[in-house]
Amino acid sequence: MTSQEQNIITIIPDLRDIPLDRLAELGSSTLAHSIALYRERLKENGVPLSSFNARI
Amino acid sequence: MISTHRLPETAFMALASAGITPAVIGLLQEAQRSKHTMLLHAIAEAVGDADPAAPGTAAFRAGYELLTRIQATDHEASEWLLGLPHVGGWAHDGLIRLDQGAVPDFAYLACAVAAAAVRAGIPFELDVPVRDGHVLLPGLGSLRVPDRSPWVRLRCDGRRLTAGDRLEAATRDLRPDDGSARSVPHWRGTPAVRAAADGLTWDVLLVTDDPYLDRYTLPMSVGLAADELRLWRQRVQSAWEVLVRHHRWAAGPIAEGISVIVPLTPQADTDLISATSPAAFGAVATSWPPDPVTMAEILVHEFQHVKLCGLMDMVPLASSGAQNVYAPWRQDPRPASGLLQGVYAHLGIVRFWREQRHAETHPDDILRAQVQFARWRQTIDTAVTTLRRTGCLTPAGVRFAEALRAKGQELAAGSVPEDAQEVAREVALDHWLNWQMRHVAADADGVASLAAAYRAGEPFPDREQPRIWIEEDARKIDSGVRSRLLNMRYLAPRRYRELHFDGIIPLSEPDRLLLGKAAEPAVQAYRDLIASSADPQPDAWVGLALALHQLPPSPLQTAFASHLPVMFEVHSCLGARTDPLELASWFG
Repeated sequence: MTSQEQNIITIIPDLRDIPLDRLAELGSSTLAHSIALYRERLKENGVPLSSFNARI
Repeated sequence: MISTHRLPETAFMALASAGITPAVIGLLQEAQRSKHTMLLHAIAEAVGDADPAAPGTAAFRAGYELLTRIQATDHEASEWLLGLPHVGGWAHDGLIRLDQGAVPDFAYLACAVAAAAVRAGIPFELDVPVRDGHVLLPGLGSLRVPDRSPWVRLRCDGRRLTAGDRLEAATRDLRPDDGSARSVPHWRGTPAVRAAADGLTWDVLLVTDDPYLDRYTLPMSVGLAADELRLWRQRVQSAWEVLVRHHRWAAGPIAEGISVIVPLTPQADTDLISATSPAAFGAVATSWPPDPVTMAEILVHEFQHVKLCGLMDMVPLASSGAQNVYAPWRQDPRPASGLLQGVYAHLGIVRFWREQRHAETHPDDILRAQVQFARWRQTIDTAVTTLRRTGCLTPAGVRFAEALRAKGQELAAGSVPEDAQEVAREVALDHWLNWQMRHVAADADGVASLAAAYRAGEPFPDREQPRIWIEEDARKIDSGVRSRLLNMRYLAPRRYRELHFDGIIPLSEPDRLLLGKAAEPAVQAYRDLIASSADPQPDAWVGLALALHQLPPSPLQTAFASHLPVMFEVHSCLGARTDPLELASWFG
């Protein structure tokens, strides 16, 4: 049972407060893992695109 | 050690029920900026392997350094840049190019960072590429550069920008063009709209010149003339008025979440195509919407996709690999993740038309709104059931889909006039039957067994049915004109009446009878056509099913709605002289 107060842990690394010039220092971290995961999703799904013809 | 973004459960459930606030959009935008930073970092790592002497590599490095400086000194400016859908599209494509072993367009970053610095009045000096005589400053506009060099040096002291030795402009003038600013030599501001209604404003760009936003099923409308731009601005303004006055639940979040509209060039005048790409969060694309209400509906529809793309970047809701399935709004079989996108979009559409039908005053507009509401409200529940059956949803996806279903059930309540309900039923059935005939294939041996049983006078075998599966092109069917006319009755009633009255549409006699609601003669005419033709007539079978559904309820209607492709194949096996209704009775 999920309570309304819970937070869902997402797969996007939180880079809001990390300066760009410090990203390289993070090495094989959550960031590298997230990039690998994103690449994997791209390979699996391609680039999904929603396109709708309202006249159908 | 870094953590990942957190999404409050309340925000997740609010997204599922399409009842969100601008604050929830803010959460999605924060995650997108982190995503863009992540992709930018992946490209920055790759630039280490690129030829250091190449001008694109040098431009990227210089741009990256400048962005690092901007990030340290002007947080708002770096947030603006990292939130641009243009940058999302570029970074996404860059990663794909790297994975394909190709070189990304490194130099674009220098243009984007220069735009952020110009906008914030930050001093810099950068070499940027000149393409087709222009320097693109994404999110702002483009500078026309007089000389033909492929590169030009931009120098900015915070107040003035020079390009090369000759071109100079005040940075405060290098802004998007909302149609009210004075002309600036050599500058073309990205067309912009400031839509305002009842105290709510929405600032949105009309982008027609950025290669990383030219990523939809139709090409972007490059080089819109001044008159065309004026019409687009008016259409955005009038659609905004519709949203603010009748759909305030959607207006605030749209103003927060959509920053770019990409006008598309349709292949035919009758096409109305809109699209969204997960690579460019905050951008939606559409061909010219014929009226303000349609534009408002498109914005609601595409914004649903924008939100779900943002959410699915954060929380996987569906896995790939499940079978393709029927979606009541598409002509092609859809993967499960596509169906999830579609059903979510239609949750917004149901809510839009549910309220819009009370805002309309002209009978034709009321009919359109009522039919749209009646047609789409019945799709949410069945589409979620289909989704669940595929087994592709993650646990979070299941919770999302069930919350979506519950909201759909809540929105579906309410009465619809019988004439509108009838049109909605018929167009939904037409779509379902045509899709079945196009995409449902049947096992030939199973079909032959059924034909033999029918020929032998045996009862319909309840247990052993031919195996069926979904294919891209199971059969060719030519019922497009009839389907368009059925839809035209509520999408463009006046045009339909004109065409119907003039009799200028090339319709077969059975189709003419069907559209004229002469159900019994239509049934007979389709029946005769099928029984007398040497060739299979798949579109006549669909017409026959539609005509039967105009008559009082009967088991034949169920047989056609449930078994049409198999019945058609068995009939083809038996030969034309077999009466289609007798065969259907055997199935029923």
